[in-house]
Amino acid sequence: MLVLLLKGALATLMLAIVGICGGTALGVGLAGLSFARIRPLRLLYRLYVFVTRGTPVLVLALLVFYGLPAMNFALGPYVAGSIVLVIYGSAFFAEVFRGGVLAIPTAQLESGRSLGLPPGAFFRKIIAPIAFRYALPPYVNVCVMMVKASSVLSIISVWELTLAAREIIERTLQVFTVLGTAALLYFLICFGVDRLGRRAERHLMHRGFMGERA
Amino acid sequence: MSFGRWLGIYGPSYLEGLAQTGLIALVSAACAIAWGGALLLARLAGGRAGARIVDGYVQVFRNTPVLLWIYLIYFAFPPIGLTWPAVVCGGLALMLQNGAYISEIFRGSFKAIELIQFDAARSLGLSWWATFRKIVLPQVLVHSLPALGNQVILLLKDTSLLSAISVAELTMNAKLLTEQTGAAYEAFVVVAILYLVLVVIVELGIRWARHMVSWRPPHHAL
Repeated sequence: MLVLLLKGALATLMLAIVGICGGTALGVGLAGLSFARIRPLRLLYRLYVFVTRGTPVLVLALLVFYGLPAMNFALGPYVAGSIVLVIYGSAFFAEVFRGGVLAIPTAQLESGRSLGLPPGAFFRKIIAPIAFRYALPPYVNVCVMMVKASSVLSIISVWELTLAAREIIERTLQVFTVLGTAALLYFLICFGVDRLGRRAERHLMHRGFMGERA
Repeated sequence: MSFGRWLGIYGPSYLEGLAQTGLIALVSAACAIAWGGALLLARLAGGRAGARIVDGYVQVFRNTPVLLWIYLIYFAFPPIGLTWPAVVCGGLALMLQNGAYISEIFRGSFKAIELIQFDAARSLGLSWWATFRKIVLPQVLVHSLPALGNQVILLLKDTSLLSAISVAELTMNAKLLTEQTGAAYEAFVVVAILYLVLVVIVELGIRWARHMVSWRPPHHAL
């Protein structure tokens, strides 16, 4: 039983990693969209974030899982689940990155401007490092949220920890033990992600944060 | 069939699910806020041990998915004799989970009260309970309103998970409709729109609440 739960935890971890990587990539693009010069693009961003954050994960998952085959786009549960996590996470990641960029003190941006940096270097040397350091704590929060959202995918029959636990309960009826162990595994995963994030924060603080050394 | 026609035929069947979702969300939110307040009280009145226990509680619910707790309460309570209806089990799980987050929100607002107010309360001779009632609670509630609104929206979205234990709410409605008509796309798009409508309603409610508690000059003052 424990082995099955551990395998489920591994599946959960894989799903979460795919969701985090894809969501981060899409989120960076979306955050860039939110600072577009053309107003319709910014409105598009606001609409996307509103819709994606306003619908429950389950409804999104059911829409992708049942709706896409209806449009002749049959996907396996894992692919559908990954797509849902990526889309759902991208909205939250985009807001996190946007918040990080907005938190940059204007003095830094003005200094960068007065240095006459080309746009690529401006982004690489000024915006990216500072925004990343501001965004890290909420970013870790969203990562933990992705791990917890993966449990919802069990309802569209994506095999991961929650579904594994449910299967074991249906066979053995030891509800407390099985769900307690599953809860413990989720706790370990999320706590681990949190700790990793704190370590990353400390490391970045050590490397310097706008001239302040830890 | 076309989307409009489908909506015309099956639209009204969503109303019951919508009402059920709204009701569950409302009652769960109220209970969660009350439970978060109780946790705040436990943290303040319990000393170091109390604070540690509440911290542990919050960590447990921050790092575990709410679906697990819904299953736990729904499957584990009947064998030990508590045969509560599915709605109550789900609502209890939502209350416990969101209560943890709300107690953290309250904790942040509590830290925002200037320490000088506690000195002033002391010099006025207010008892611990009186300072809590008259100084702490009003300020914490007002300061938490935006974050509380956010949490209520999250709670509203989590009510969709109750469909996993066969509660007749909006998402369950959509699932049944999909099985009946096979029009999955239309069914779930309408449900998504309805959830967005509920979210907008909650946000408007929060804005109204913030307006109600904000200080405005009395109309007789010019």
